[in-house]
Amino acid sequence: MFELFSDIFAGRDNLLRRIDARAKLAVAALAILLSLCSSRPPFPLLIAFSCLAATAAIRVPLSHALGRLLFPLLVSAFLLLLKLFMIGSTEIFTVHVHGVTLVAREEGLYQGIIIMARVAGAVSVMMLLSYVTAAHEVFLALRWMRAPEEIVDLAMLMYRHIFTLIEQAGEVAVAQRVRLGYAGLSRTLGSAGTLAGTVIIRSLEQSVRTHEAMIARCYDGRIPFAPAKAVQSKDRISALAAVLVVLILFWALEGGVV
Amino acid sequence: MNDTSNAPAIRANGVVFSYEEGTRALDGVDFLCGAGEFVAILASNGSGKTTLIKLLVALLKPERGTVEIDGRDLRSYPPKDLYQKVGLVLQNARDQLFAATVEEDVAFGPRNLGLHESEVQRRVSDSLRSVGAEGLGGRAIHHLSYGEQKRVSIAGVLAMRPSILILDEPTAGLDPAGEIDMLRLLYRLNRQQGITVVLATHSVDMLPLFADRIYVMKHGRVLQSGPPREVFADPEMLDRAKLRLPHIAHLLHEMKHRDGVPIDGLPLTVGEARRKLLDLIPPEIFYRNGAEGQA
Repeated sequence: MFELFSDIFAGRDNLLRRIDARAKLAVAALAILLSLCSSRPPFPLLIAFSCLAATAAIRVPLSHALGRLLFPLLVSAFLLLLKLFMIGSTEIFTVHVHGVTLVAREEGLYQGIIIMARVAGAVSVMMLLSYVTAAHEVFLALRWMRAPEEIVDLAMLMYRHIFTLIEQAGEVAVAQRVRLGYAGLSRTLGSAGTLAGTVIIRSLEQSVRTHEAMIARCYDGRIPFAPAKAVQSKDRISALAAVLVVLILFWALEGGVV
Repeated sequence: MNDTSNAPAIRANGVVFSYEEGTRALDGVDFLCGAGEFVAILASNGSGKTTLIKLLVALLKPERGTVEIDGRDLRSYPPKDLYQKVGLVLQNARDQLFAATVEEDVAFGPRNLGLHESEVQRRVSDSLRSVGAEGLGGRAIHHLSYGEQKRVSIAGVLAMRPSILILDEPTAGLDPAGEIDMLRLLYRLNRQQGITVVLATHSVDMLPLFADRIYVMKHGRVLQSGPPREVFADPEMLDRAKLRLPHIAHLLHEMKHRDGVPIDGLPLTVGEARRKLLDLIPPEIFYRNGAEGQA
């Protein structure tokens, strides 16, 4: 679990890593927006494959990337199934389950595929961004882009404490496991519930202590950031070129050229 | 109350504090710490040392009694003035460090003070250098070892340039080498930079080496205070406080009282104990052993 959230790759030097975070964030935001707005699968799928190719090029293990993609894709696969059997009129096939007849329909399948493609595209962009940009650079870029301070501060605190909570959850889970807390379904459910409750309580306790420590360093409700430097012209040009490519691809694949 | 040779940096008079559920955590505590002193609050768990620390930095308000910093009532301090005088380091570094990187975290306090970015950066690098963490600036907090996190949490407080540093169990969770390194670091800050150090601990073995004075607490009261030699001269009081003598002192105390070994006074450190024991061993034994060793 910890490895899945790990940001070690964001510290590695590569071509994408050296580009200004604000430029990368602008391109990523556009690619995500257009993926989510697409009405056909090719554009988001092309974005997803491009991001995966870039991920492979910067030598991130494929298993790590797929691990990150897995959960969102599973959720969208579930949505695809719902759409498949609930929307549309053109019948593809019929399934009988315990006396219930489920009819798969073409329109539902298409809509489901579009959702999956959008999710794959958007999540792949986020994933690539996280592999080539340290989290604090993203927060600085968001501040520079005038994102609401409260949201950026909250995101920063969440980011910091995810790792602490994962660590604590891991310790509690081990303590439960060595006392057979996960032997059998009922015990597993009970232990998992206790684990979730414990992590919530600990996170609340920790938030109180963190707040006290912040007050002792003159916290007044706002986390101050370093003033942003100007975006270098090479980064501006890179961002502009990437934005143009994304827009052209979107126009070509969505506008009916392909 | 003990007199200190220096002007009082912290003075607490008859401080009483109870938590909302009714637990009386402090019951008439008097505390005095002179400027430039290294003072330890020695107490077992649940004795009120963390509560006292929170009162000394105005995170809690006393029900009765007063706390003064540099002769001025704590209640009259605006937070920005107070926290440039007194720095607090929590027991668990994880609770204290919240930013994504070391630099961002250490810069948090100076930026809250509204300092110019060049001054912020100077303070960040000075503070990291002070704690021997100058190479960690760009690292993510969660990639640091626990000992490194402790150092960075101290650097974050030092960046506020406080004249008083208050630490809650700074050696908790550290290995023996980390423990001695931490105390050496605090001693260096105290002796070289003149920072007044107040630390709460229940680790007795190292204190005789570093502390100028020790307060022993139990059930929210001060049982005794004074220089280490005075405090550790009363093993029964330490017993009542659920504490103990330093191991080396305990060994020689037992040799003196059970075996009748004629040890003068009670050595508190390995160095002192070595000298006392050498005084008791006939010199010819060293010569013989030394000759055998060389042979």
